[in-house]
Amino acid sequence: MLVNSTVIQKIMGEKVGRKVEVGEKILLPLDLVVMRDFGGPNVIKKYVEKFGEERPLDARKIAFTFDLHLPARQIKEAENQKACREFAKKYGIKVFDVNNGIGQHTLLENGMIKPGSVVIGTDSHMNLLGAANSFSTGVGTTDIVAGMRFGKTWFKVPETIKINVEGGLSKGVYAKDLILHIVKTLGSDGAAYKAVEFYGDIIEKMNLAARITMASMVTEMDGKISFFPMNDAAKEELRKYVSFDKVYNADGDAEYAEEYTIETPSSPQIACPHSPDNVKSIEEVEGVEINQAFIGSCTNGRLEDLREAAKILKGRKIKEGFRLIITPATINVAREAEERGYIKIFLEAGAIVTNPSCALCTIGHPGVLATGDATLSTSNRNFPGKIGKGSIYLCSPAVAAYSAIKGKIADPREVL
Amino acid sequence: MRGKVWKFGDDIDTDQIYPGAYLTVTDEDEMAKYAMTGVEGRENFADVVSKGDIIVAGKNFGCGSSREHAPMAIKKLGIACVIAKSFARIFYRNAINIGLPVIELKETDEINEGDELEVDVHEGVIKNLTTGKVYKAMPMGELERKIMEAGGLIEYLRGENEG
Repeated sequence: MLVNSTVIQKIMGEKVGRKVEVGEKILLPLDLVVMRDFGGPNVIKKYVEKFGEERPLDARKIAFTFDLHLPARQIKEAENQKACREFAKKYGIKVFDVNNGIGQHTLLENGMIKPGSVVIGTDSHMNLLGAANSFSTGVGTTDIVAGMRFGKTWFKVPETIKINVEGGLSKGVYAKDLILHIVKTLGSDGAAYKAVEFYGDIIEKMNLAARITMASMVTEMDGKISFFPMNDAAKEELRKYVSFDKVYNADGDAEYAEEYTIETPSSPQIACPHSPDNVKSIEEVEGVEINQAFIGSCTNGRLEDLREAAKILKGRKIKEGFRLIITPATINVAREAEERGYIKIFLEAGAIVTNPSCALCTIGHPGVLATGDATLSTSNRNFPGKIGKGSIYLCSPAVAAYSAIKGKIADPREVL
Repeated sequence: MRGKVWKFGDDIDTDQIYPGAYLTVTDEDEMAKYAMTGVEGRENFADVVSKGDIIVAGKNFGCGSSREHAPMAIKKLGIACVIAKSFARIFYRNAINIGLPVIELKETDEINEGDELEVDVHEGVIKNLTTGKVYKAMPMGELERKIMEAGGLIEYLRGENEG
């Protein structure tokens, strides 16, 4: 039935029980509807306004993930979180409260996402769950309210871009550098309304953390979702969190809107102010003075990311007066980082380690910038005003860690 | 609909449309005060626009976070529709879902601040009354039109459920 289909066509087709055509608008049943501590209060308000005391269709298919203001710093944030908790309690909805970490990662680690899951959430980086072979996407309040009450919403079956990656990643060059290079190549709207499928030897070998890094930044070229080959290694890694039978890979004769062949970059890549597609090789920006670095976020906050930072920071000190802020993605990541000694390394180096959250991805977290400040960030966006007045350079955890020691943008390959 | 143009550039992200500092606001009418105020030089936007005015922008309007505050603030401010070369995906669907008309038009460079436009949203016909030029944009898709006509996604799905 589902022949010559891309991955997104397969997942959507399975849900509606027939082959879906590109460009078609369909109502799709939802497996999970997720809201955060920001976004959540607007959802509740609108839900009550529209439906009063009517119950959500299926409370088991709804979750709150608090990941922005952890724990609340302002009364307004506290009130909002309280409202979410009370609403959840009333209808028996699961809350991943302030001691968990970033929503998508928390859902994944708690076995709530599996291949083929259709998920909507109030987070523009929901689509990083494409790394788990799920169609997850960021939406606004109205979609969430509709999804809670009716269990479905509308989608356009998107075209798919096929990206073949050629070449390997040498020491000091990571999935983050590759995806920054790809965002530069396609541009900030290069995948608008489209799904992306990644292929190539290096992609086949990528672990879940690296795939998540890539998938999260597909949003920065306005892509709807991205997928990776679900080979045996990928299935095995995902089975640590959830059991499943079926995975979704494209057919050999699937049709693509565009096809790119992209060579892996040979050196670390940096997205310069003020757009994620303003990407330069580290050689072009080495030596730029910075006074802060952030390691974390849904893009680079996993154990593998912290491990790379720990390798560099072990036995070294960050520059005096420099602020290095490190935030594990989830409580599980934090616990494991602690067990492996990474947290001790960070603290001894002079870093500030914060509790798991989205952290410095928004202005709502300690560490905002003053006028003229410049920061490196392993996050995914460097728009003006995103975390204060200064400028933001996006990079890998290794670049952020080594630059913290030097107090300027520096190439970690010098010590790796 | 007929209205005066306020002109914006490319890649106007949701932090510029609705600054992150006001994300804790849940009152939709209050959101209107902050519409577009993150754009340099538009800090007093809410004070200078009139009901029925039109926003015209470049490519990738509404990129960035999924906040529905962005289209909601624009709608509540009384902006009649947004015309851009292209829209970021989430902004586009949020706008449809709340009933804010959005139109994709390649030639927005030819439209200037202060021009008077007459817009037929369903047919995608835009007349620039100031320059005399007429443009034909992509008409809205059938499902989007039904959602807009129902008054938004929730009203549409409720109708589907009951029908």
